[in-house]
Amino acid sequence: MRPRASHIILAAAAVLLILLLAGEAVDPVLYAAENISTAAHADPSTIEKRSPGDAASVVPLMDELLGHTGTLALTIKVKDYESAERDLARYSELSSQFDRLVVKLDLSETDIAEFQKSNRQNQEALAALLNDSQRLDELKSLEIEVLDGDQRMAVIYEGEALRQKMRETYTAYAKREPETTRIATHYGANATPYQESVEVIAEVAGAAEDWQADAPRSPLNISVTPREGRYGENLSIGGRYADGVPGTPLTIYVDSRIAGNTTLDENAAYAYPYRIGRILAGPHLVYATAGAIFSEVATFDVLPAETNISLAIAEVNRTAVACTGNLTTEDGRPVLEAPVILRVDGETLISTETDGNGTYARTLVLTGGEHTIRAEFNAAGYPLNSSRSQVETLQVRGEGLSPFPFIAAIAAALGAGWYIRRRGLPEEHPVQEEPDIEPPPEIAETVPSVEIEGLPPREAATLLFRALRERLGIPASKTPRECARLAPDHAAFFERYERIRYAGEVPTEEELRSMEREALGRG
Amino acid sequence: MQRETWVVILVLLLAGGALYLHITTTTEEFSRHNIGWNGTSNLPAEDVRDLSRLDPGSTLLILAPDRPFTAAEVGYLRAFLDGGGRIIIADEEGAANPLLADLESEIRVRPGNLSSLERDYAHPGLFKGYVVGNDTLFAGVETVLLNRPAAVEGGEPLVETSVFTWDDIDGDGHVGEGETFGRRVVCAREGNLIVLGDASLFINAMLPENTKFIENLQPVQIDAVHSRTGSRNPIINTLTWIEERPPAVAALAALAILPVAWRFGRKRE
Repeated sequence: MRPRASHIILAAAAVLLILLLAGEAVDPVLYAAENISTAAHADPSTIEKRSPGDAASVVPLMDELLGHTGTLALTIKVKDYESAERDLARYSELSSQFDRLVVKLDLSETDIAEFQKSNRQNQEALAALLNDSQRLDELKSLEIEVLDGDQRMAVIYEGEALRQKMRETYTAYAKREPETTRIATHYGANATPYQESVEVIAEVAGAAEDWQADAPRSPLNISVTPREGRYGENLSIGGRYADGVPGTPLTIYVDSRIAGNTTLDENAAYAYPYRIGRILAGPHLVYATAGAIFSEVATFDVLPAETNISLAIAEVNRTAVACTGNLTTEDGRPVLEAPVILRVDGETLISTETDGNGTYARTLVLTGGEHTIRAEFNAAGYPLNSSRSQVETLQVRGEGLSPFPFIAAIAAALGAGWYIRRRGLPEEHPVQEEPDIEPPPEIAETVPSVEIEGLPPREAATLLFRALRERLGIPASKTPRECARLAPDHAAFFERYERIRYAGEVPTEEELRSMEREALGRG
Repeated sequence: MQRETWVVILVLLLAGGALYLHITTTTEEFSRHNIGWNGTSNLPAEDVRDLSRLDPGSTLLILAPDRPFTAAEVGYLRAFLDGGGRIIIADEEGAANPLLADLESEIRVRPGNLSSLERDYAHPGLFKGYVVGNDTLFAGVETVLLNRPAAVEGGEPLVETSVFTWDDIDGDGHVGEGETFGRRVVCAREGNLIVLGDASLFINAMLPENTKFIENLQPVQIDAVHSRTGSRNPIINTLTWIEERPPAVAALAALAILPVAWRFGRKRE
């Protein structure tokens, strides 16, 4: 085939190849395929194998939580308080586990989050019922032992307060049951123990009603105004203590926990400002004590409120970003010292907290590349609804390329350049390894003509080497060392030339003349 | 022959092979001529173009239908079902609903963007379905890896999703407002008619994920006329047209042989 024709064909093939590649240039896959998908499907071989969390454990955990309500209610009913304490501790542990799962699986906007809230309220109700039942039993014993009129009345007043609390606890517990059962049933969880616990709690509260049913009213009365409020609002808890001495200290309890202290004024009245903070939405119980005297029990409702959370991102350095934002209620009240979660790339959770102004700040160190961050407020334990910020997408520059590989490459290039310059570009490489021994070629004694006058000594030596090699009929591919082996009679000539050629030695005029004679075969 | 000539012949053969591969394949979704991840070239099935010639008692797969069936074709399918044949309609866009209505089936495909939390992949649309019904198609199969399936309503459920499945209306991959968890049926049966809300189970990339299910499907014929398993590529269609007609194949072979024969004939002279 003519070279011209073959060149045309090769050029045409190259053009065709370029045209075919051009068709793919719009959507090149010149990288490892990752997250390949279309509207109809995704390529599983390019999708990372990563589960969002242990979703399969949600329903079994719901089952366990519901089961514990039944067990706990029964142990309270039979007054096995030691077992009840253990059950309550386990129930609390499971509830915390469930809370973490809700956050991890990002379920804060689902009915699972509703179940989570109800569960927390149920846990608090059962804890209160356990404490109240224990205290009521103690009061029953005291009533028998105490004969003193004042002390006896104190026991009666406290008993009355406990009865009211238990009644209210049961009412709220029973009110949550239908919705909680509906959610549990929807997910296939067994709500029967929970439904039974409602009946058992009714029996426990009913039994308390039987004791001192006709107790006189306490001289320490109490009321809450307004009767309902939202997060951040103030309620006034106050009343009068008939026969009370001005300056008498009083303790205010909300849900059996000390909320604060106050004193009677000159009119035997008291008032305590209660700010709604981290407390569950729903009905709450409040009472006051003045020494051993318990007030009646008042109730107030905390209404749920919406929240807003913001997120701003600023670059700190190549790998770190500062995340800041505010958490407020819908009417602009800051939510104080509340937990905030920063969800990085949809999976990694980083915790932080708002300060006294409802502001949070956290610096994150991220790997280079694109990342998404969202701030979330999971309102567990607050009378607030969960909220999440907009997803912010950011590009982190990363550490940058290390200079060491570049420095090493430059150093290697300089070293190679220096070496080549020093040795000169070799025409033929010396053979380092022992070559296969070949039979000596037939030496043809033809005398070439060589003119070395006026040439630099090393070039002249090269010409003489070639001349001798040609005269002896040694192939041009052979090195001086190979030549020396093939023609042992001229070994000294070739070894001398090898030093001139590769060791950079310069031959003297006399040496050149000697080499010329040998190369041309003149004796 | 010169070394250069051999190189040219080799390059021409390679270029010809690449060109043939390029013009006879496509990247169209579900196409039998698509050898990529989203094609169905690796699905072992016999293409059927004439529904009046279906083997009685066999299985017909109608995969991702996108063209209407004539009344006569519906009649053939009904007769096929009555004769003990099994039809599997795999559709996730609802295009099969008119055919289902014509076949007097109550099953319907409800397109959506089903996503699940119970999954092993980062993609929310790539999750497990659980076999809940009894059918030879799912014999020995407990779970099926689904790939952006659609819900199926009516009929006897064969495959369901987990309860942590939702229709991701806003497509953000998270359960948000207006999106609720619940089990969805993705495959249902009515007699010999099976409706699968996930045509993606048959694409090349998914075949290794559900091997037992694909084994149970065999032997199967696949409707090559009314579905997206065909191609819009005119070269492919021309080649297919030729392949289906023996006289055309013979004529093409003659066209290829004649110049060679003529060349050798001249050399001998």
